[in-house]
Amino acid sequence: MGKDRYRRQILVKQFGLKGQKQLASKHAVLIGGGGLGSNSANILIRMGIGSIDIIDYDTIDRTNLHRTSVFSEKDIGKYKAIVLKERLQSVNTDVQVKAINKKITSKNIDSLLIHADVIVDGTDNIPLRLLINTIAIQQNIPWVYAGVYETVGMVMAILPKKTACFHCITQNIPIPKSKEIPVLGSLPATIAAIQCNETIKVLLGKQPAGLLIYDVWNQCFDKLDIQRNPNCPICGK
Amino acid sequence: MKISVKVFGRYKDIAGKETIQIDITDGNTIQDVINAFVKLYPAAQNDKNRMMATKNKMFSSYDMTVTQNDEITLAPPVVSGG
Repeated sequence: MGKDRYRRQILVKQFGLKGQKQLASKHAVLIGGGGLGSNSANILIRMGIGSIDIIDYDTIDRTNLHRTSVFSEKDIGKYKAIVLKERLQSVNTDVQVKAINKKITSKNIDSLLIHADVIVDGTDNIPLRLLINTIAIQQNIPWVYAGVYETVGMVMAILPKKTACFHCITQNIPIPKSKEIPVLGSLPATIAAIQCNETIKVLLGKQPAGLLIYDVWNQCFDKLDIQRNPNCPICGK
Repeated sequence: MKISVKVFGRYKDIAGKETIQIDITDGNTIQDVINAFVKLYPAAQNDKNRMMATKNKMFSSYDMTVTQNDEITLAPPVVSGG
């Protein structure tokens, strides 16, 4: 680990050399390499996560470019996971970056998550998040939900059997049918940064903040304290 | 009787405050609280069936009954884009 690279980060008293070393020993699995995921991968790799698997089966579309700082026009049509690995590996060669060009399914998710210290959510739909949540709870892996819509972003770090899980906060709520989700271009980077803060804190053993809601248009940042539902079919006793 | 409901996200903007008072009667549910909120603030109408509600810091289904001493919150629906 090159200490000089992280000198300014190590100076942060809440983080320090101890935090930097801890981070360098951790493995993150990032699911989804679009607006949120590409920005989160960028931050985690620059900050010095030990290793990261980037899972995405999709290709880069022109409509992705307004909300990510990693892809460019020449990447259109290429696989997101492959481009992210190529681009971000060159940013920090200390980090082991692996591209997994696969669609996550209920059949392969177990094997893809098995070595994760944390799962970072870069997905774009509720059903996949519910699948991630179920496996994360079963395998006792912390994960950090993040989502965006129009000008609103949400982040919640989920510690299995300790905090509310994703099912606890979505039960009975109808799943939206809209295929093309409206997103302000500046929002995913903002929410990805908050997601990475929560991810780092989870990896360093700090208690998560709860459900964070940020509306960039109305400039309101809220923290909602939601406790575990003891009757939750996924994380309840 | 009146119940205090804490609102989050854009609902604070819509209501112009963080806590609102809603009239309830015995047997009222979270759904009744949401209906009353939307009636007071029609700008929240589109979220009516997907609003996130908690009762005493726990996510609440819409059929749960509320009493005056319950701590109720309403927040915008969980967002799913990436």
